[in-house]
Amino acid sequence: MIDRRRLLLGGAGLGAAALSGCAGFTGQTGQDGEAPQGQTTLTFVNWSGDAEKAAFDALISRFEQANPDIRVETQTVPYADISTNIDSRFQAGDPPDLFRVSYIDIGLYTSQGVLLDLSETIGARSGDFVPGLYEAVVVDQVPYGVPHQIDTTAVLYRTDAFEAAGITDVPTGLDQAWSWEELAEVADRLKGVTGSDQYPFVYNWQAAGAYRWLSWLFQAGGALLTPGLDAAAIASEEGRRAVQFTQRFFTEEWVARNTSTKATTYASDEFVAGAAAMAFVGDFSLPTIDAGVDFEYGVLPMPRDVESASDLGGNAVVAAAEGPNTEAAARFCAFIAEQEQMRTYCEATGQLPTLTALTETELAFEVRPDLMPTFVEQATTLTAEQVRQVTVPAFGRINALLGDELEQAFLGGRDAAATVDALAAAVDGALG
Amino acid sequence: MVATVPTRGLTVVDARAHTARTPGRPGRRRVGWTLRVVAAVLVAVVMVFPLWVMLVTAFSSGSAYSQTLRLWPSEPTLGNFTRVFAAWPVGSWFANSVAVAGVTTVLSVAVSLTGGFAFAKLRWVGRTPVFLLLLATMMIPTQAILVPQFRLVSSLGLVGTFWAVILPGAAATFGIFLARQFLMAIPTELVEAARVDGASTPRVFWSIVLPLCRPLVAVLTLLALMYQWNDFLWPLIVLRDPALFTLPIGLQFLQGQYLTDYGALMAMTLLATAPLVVLFLVFQRYFVQGLATTGLR
Amino acid sequence: MSALSVPGVRRRGRGDRSAPLFAGPVVLLAGLFLVLPMGLALVFSLTEIAPLSGKVGWVGLTNFATMAADPTFFRSLLNTALFALVTVPGSMAIGLALALLMNSVLPARPLFRTVVYLPLVISGVAVGLIGSLLFNETSGVLRALALTFGLPVVPWQSSGPAAFASVVLITLWIRVGFCMIIYLAALQAVPPELHEAAQVEGASGWQRFRHVTLPLLGPATFFLLIMSVIYSFNVFDTVFVLTGGGPGSATEVLGTYAYDTAFGPARDQGYGAAIGVVVFVLTMAFTLVQWRRSRAARDGAL
Repeated sequence: MIDRRRLLLGGAGLGAAALSGCAGFTGQTGQDGEAPQGQTTLTFVNWSGDAEKAAFDALISRFEQANPDIRVETQTVPYADISTNIDSRFQAGDPPDLFRVSYIDIGLYTSQGVLLDLSETIGARSGDFVPGLYEAVVVDQVPYGVPHQIDTTAVLYRTDAFEAAGITDVPTGLDQAWSWEELAEVADRLKGVTGSDQYPFVYNWQAAGAYRWLSWLFQAGGALLTPGLDAAAIASEEGRRAVQFTQRFFTEEWVARNTSTKATTYASDEFVAGAAAMAFVGDFSLPTIDAGVDFEYGVLPMPRDVESASDLGGNAVVAAAEGPNTEAAARFCAFIAEQEQMRTYCEATGQLPTLTALTETELAFEVRPDLMPTFVEQATTLTAEQVRQVTVPAFGRINALLGDELEQAFLGGRDAAATVDALAAAVDGALG
Repeated sequence: MVATVPTRGLTVVDARAHTARTPGRPGRRRVGWTLRVVAAVLVAVVMVFPLWVMLVTAFSSGSAYSQTLRLWPSEPTLGNFTRVFAAWPVGSWFANSVAVAGVTTVLSVAVSLTGGFAFAKLRWVGRTPVFLLLLATMMIPTQAILVPQFRLVSSLGLVGTFWAVILPGAAATFGIFLARQFLMAIPTELVEAARVDGASTPRVFWSIVLPLCRPLVAVLTLLALMYQWNDFLWPLIVLRDPALFTLPIGLQFLQGQYLTDYGALMAMTLLATAPLVVLFLVFQRYFVQGLATTGLR
Repeated sequence: MSALSVPGVRRRGRGDRSAPLFAGPVVLLAGLFLVLPMGLALVFSLTEIAPLSGKVGWVGLTNFATMAADPTFFRSLLNTALFALVTVPGSMAIGLALALLMNSVLPARPLFRTVVYLPLVISGVAVGLIGSLLFNETSGVLRALALTFGLPVVPWQSSGPAAFASVVLITLWIRVGFCMIIYLAALQAVPPELHEAAQVEGASGWQRFRHVTLPLLGPATFFLLIMSVIYSFNVFDTVFVLTGGGPGSATEVLGTYAYDTAFGPARDQGYGAAIGVVVFVLTMAFTLVQWRRSRAARDGAL
């Protein structure tokens, strides 16, 4: 009996020990308690690959050196969960001081008035940014974040596969980009040349990347939304053409069937695994890919149809409007937008800058600097109209719907006309 | 459904084989025996296979994209473990899981015991309807109350703390049901006798009833631990800071980070699974009794 | 429900004064975190909840109207029903077969039993991850196995039916142990004398199973049916991790759809609550129907 009581008391004691010892019971993490008087701790929620994480850590430590009164505590969450994570913090009334948000998701936050007005820091330097990219963070002339970096897609290829398929005419610049038909020819020749399981290519529209399909729509000369951004414009000849062509990826087995828009596999992964001879991937994947591959690879620009186009990847860093640390958060935003900081960050991560001064100079990229000019040149195909279409407040939802509807065309066999009609209906529904 | 649950679940399952006693022709019996052994071995192979490949993958180095069948670690290594440990706060996740599952289990066992006593041995107005209502909550699917529960917990200011997981977790009503079932089997005369001697109800509970509850406590503890250690959906919604993740959310996090790097993923899966497997092997008897008495969700 | 009217401690007056002390904690916790949210779910299903701010606006039955015209909802409902229809009888039948096997004369019987119920303690997330290691279409273990033995490679991830099958298979893996435990307990409660008597009368092995054993497994079967259906309607972790509901909506179930709707990019918590209400109503309805049927079948014996 005494044993039992001791057991129960022991249990209670264990609970108490855990209570006092574990920060999770109060929700206070980090070294808040050890922070000297007057020091502010900023919470920065982001996602990152290994190279990005290292670059952010370096950026933060430089910021802390320059601002000894501020500490920045990073919380890394998976990209797939970032919106869910941030949203629920907002809903619980406890948003993070700073967070990273992709351009395709930023519209929701700017439209809800929950972000810090950065007119005095970023707004004062509006002229320094590439205009189309600056607009992505602006609503009613107020900038709500730092357009921190962009990334865009180009095509990596295995040199051994190209040799085996006898493909020698590899485009290097945009002006030599393949037409869709040339891509089709290449794809047919690449089937299985360096391994029975190797597909000609893999496209990076998985993992909330469905919006990257829009590159094909834009190449065909189409548009997702009307110029007023209030209705779908996808039910068009161009839209059908883009769906038809991308459907062929699957019907002609240029891509593996498990690499569709809702797949749980990823383009960069498949390329590293040797499951594809070419990979449409963003420049930000280069550090990861380069660390993983055991074969030679090169880069070529996205194919073109009536237009050249690629996608606007990339992210802003924003601050929550409400909170005790907004002044410190604004200082962090201003700091990472400084030319030197942005340069260092981009060079380390293979991402592209948003400051005009940097886009006009050549950056010393750390990983495969020989490949980066193709991505840099590819980024010039982004247009302001396209940026506006993918940064509307409902785009996060539209992106998910794109993934659903396209998968029905790719794997479900639904024809192009029905697909663009369904897409138009879904987009109109999301726009409200 | 109350009355139909096998109540013998709390008595140790005694594995007597009735077929052993049945006479039959020796030749046929031998054939039958051989067939059964073959079937049992096949079943065992199928059941163990997924766990085996998890182990092999966790301890294998080299390319994660093996195209050939690997049934033995090619170059046994701990590299997968050290790699993930170096990059992410896996140790904290482990500690968080221990803390959350531990406190929730203590709480839920405590309220199950007292509640079970109240429903089994005390008379009070509304006892039956309240019990039926509690029973009905067993049928509430987690996803049915995600939204209101999130709003509730967030209005209590608990989001982002362990309490957001612990308090709803301690409300697991299967324990009440189990405890009531067990306590009803305790002779009422025992309780009555103590009463006659002038003992108060709390005193009766503490000195007479509780000492008889050892097997019940074991079953409740193990079931609660298993449920809480593995709980995923609710912690995923309310624990937002990676430093506060429990192992299941941590695992899902790593899936997002490591994609198809199965060496890393299986190493962590093994780590998250091993404690319960060991616990299970040691206390198998209680697990089986508990499971035989209630359902797992 | 006569089982509920078991006599408690008899006291004069209106009951034990310390009852609130003992029943209070669990009633409070369950009331606050289960009953109240369930009631609120009904309320929220009639509202629109703004993302981020969480502001609530009354929209009447709009969410249910949306649901009536939502193909993905019906697909998830159908998938959930199909999932239950396959996994519930499947796991119960296999569980019973294993229980019979493990109840017979076998060497190393405890070992075999342990192996069958071991997967039970593995979390849904871990099971999903192990599943993805097995079923990955380009680098999975099953693919390598198929290639080794010259079998056709199954497109576990890109074909809807195959993906659905992968979820079912992995679910059976973790569920058969539970069914086996329950059936084993029930089998061991069958008095050996019954079998001996039947044998004396010349009943064959099958006849003894059919007419002696099976009828006595009724309560266990009923319990398993309810528990397995509840489990199947609640399935989330494994699907979420293994397939994420894809390809397309081929493996989307009510659990994953409710989560995606409320906490995914749709950010529609009102609609998410409405889906939750439907799941609850279905679970409840099934349980009540089964309970009445089982009671009728045994003529109120319980």
